[in-house]
Amino acid sequence: MASLSLKGIQKIYPNGFHAVKDFNLDIDDKEFIIFVGPSGCGKSTTLRMIAGLEDISGGTLEIDGKVMNDVEPKDRDIAMVFQNYALYPHMTVYDNMAFGLKLRKTPKDEIDKKVREAARILDLEKLLDRKPKALSGGQRQRVAMGRAIVRNPKVFLMDEPLSNLDAKLRVQMRIEISKLHENLGATIIYVTHDQTEAMTLGTRIVVMKDGVVQQVDTPQNLYNTPCNLFVAGFIGSPQMNFMDAVVKVNGEDVTLTVGEHVLKVPASKKKPLIDGGYDGKTVVLGIRPEDVHDSETFIANSPDSVIKSKIKVYELLGAEVFLYFDVEGTQMTARVNPRTTLRTGDDAVFALDMEKIHVFDKESELTIVN
Amino acid sequence: MASELELDKALSELKRITGITLEVKAKTPEELELALTQVHCLCLAYKEKYNKNHFLQTLMTDGIPSYDIFERASRLHIDAEVPRVLFLVETKGPIDDTIMEVLKNLFPSQSKTYLVSMGERNLVILRPLKTSETPADIDRLAHMIVDTLNMEALTRVQTAYSGTVETLMDLSAAYRETSLALKVGKLFYSEQTIFPYNQLGIGRLIYQLPVTICENFLKEIFGGEVPRTFDEETTATINKFFQNNLNIAETSRQLHMHRNTLIYRLEQIERRTGLDIRRFEDAMTFKIATMVINYLQTERNS
Repeated sequence: MASLSLKGIQKIYPNGFHAVKDFNLDIDDKEFIIFVGPSGCGKSTTLRMIAGLEDISGGTLEIDGKVMNDVEPKDRDIAMVFQNYALYPHMTVYDNMAFGLKLRKTPKDEIDKKVREAARILDLEKLLDRKPKALSGGQRQRVAMGRAIVRNPKVFLMDEPLSNLDAKLRVQMRIEISKLHENLGATIIYVTHDQTEAMTLGTRIVVMKDGVVQQVDTPQNLYNTPCNLFVAGFIGSPQMNFMDAVVKVNGEDVTLTVGEHVLKVPASKKKPLIDGGYDGKTVVLGIRPEDVHDSETFIANSPDSVIKSKIKVYELLGAEVFLYFDVEGTQMTARVNPRTTLRTGDDAVFALDMEKIHVFDKESELTIVN
Repeated sequence: MASELELDKALSELKRITGITLEVKAKTPEELELALTQVHCLCLAYKEKYNKNHFLQTLMTDGIPSYDIFERASRLHIDAEVPRVLFLVETKGPIDDTIMEVLKNLFPSQSKTYLVSMGERNLVILRPLKTSETPADIDRLAHMIVDTLNMEALTRVQTAYSGTVETLMDLSAAYRETSLALKVGKLFYSEQTIFPYNQLGIGRLIYQLPVTICENFLKEIFGGEVPRTFDEETTATINKFFQNNLNIAETSRQLHMHRNTLIYRLEQIERRTGLDIRRFEDAMTFKIATMVINYLQTERNS
């Protein structure tokens, strides 16, 4: 397997569209890297530049220390699995997986060995004689993966490979891909717009927006310490709640005022607000839905972080309940225990876990406090 | 003067397409020349009569009179009245055996899909349409062709596709339409890989205008001094401003810049071009003008 280095990578198309700007990333051997971001953020373009399917306009791409900018895709020792894969309809699973190797004139016994090994990893051994028509969506997806595995590449590049599957199958295939990464010990770069996929699969995640890398970190760190408002809003489902709040510094005390609600900032989060000169300024307060509590004990223990509102929507998801309500015109979500007695239309009292708040600069949108 | 090597090449071509093995002995250069011409003629005659690929190629490039199309199609067992869709594939490098094998196996012979080579880097896929297929299915098929060639042949591909080709009589027009889609797509939407014939937007209009009209249009807008290009920062500002529907607050927020800085930049653009892109009409003119500038630059370069 392989390590990759992307230094100052740029992509400018002939029509002037600047798709990727100054992309820098070092990928270690056996890492599972996820490129995530909204549509048009440059994640697929970056992957295609790594694959050699797009020319690199600026910067350097290295695989295992070798500059690859001008190397043909077939000489980069990579394998790809894309969204709109197709299996050869008249071939069996075995032949579908062997086809690429046959084209490269690989000896028959070697093909057989590689195909059977890939089939074993993907649990396709019993399906090798079947034609694509006789396979389920998930099995077809595994065959497509198998075609990549038999190449035994240094790097796997996957561009939204699960997008065409239904929700249930996607969850199942996510687990399969995760297992595959463990079994193969491969370096994988995976593109998705789905933050759940990103969080569950990646060892590190690259969050992109408008061609610019916003943050590169582990799923846990991205969730707990987002570097700006965009990352905070993009990672997490339901997304983080945001409200405008005015900072007030009064000696040692720092409060955030949201309309009529005054929230006391805990000692651990005060310093950046005082040192940054935010007294009197409006900032953006962020809090995750699971950090908005409705339990009586929590509310009683947190008198300085109480907000009141009317429940607009009650959503029972089985193991949890989402409550939607407005605070000063901003919609908020609380993720609470299904035993809650609150229902649509009820007047509710919530307490925010102030140790878990995030505060962002309103102008620059950068994180002040995590 | 013809060489022995050329004759050998022509003979093996004859064998490849007809299965006939010929042995030709020429004593003088004149005889060699004559033999070569005759073998070439044999190949051509055979292709004209029996080769579907040659027939479709000639048909697409307007080389067959309309009265002859149905008869020749029937001789080659090609159903002339099946509705089809035409995909024009362009690869980055020459079309090699790998690409051909991938496509042949993606559309095996029983699917009645024809793969017609149209040059070193171009290939037409002429596929019958199923009655249940919608435009969305055709678009998916185009994506499937591109993604599969990317994955299996490891090659960059761009594809344009036509509307429904009702009969073979319409094939030539469909090929022209698709070729235009590919050219316009590469020029104006170069970040994309798939160009449907019916989604070329204003690019199609600009492409079909004569160069002099484009130049006059630019002179009318910018006077004598047509801006060649803008610096990266200005281009990014303009693109973002357009993406946000000329909304200053949202654009400045997304560019992490103060509202007044953005306004200053927009005023600089106005000073340079005479167009206040905060106004819809000027913004529209500006957008078209930049597309025309790009088009003319590409035309000059080519």
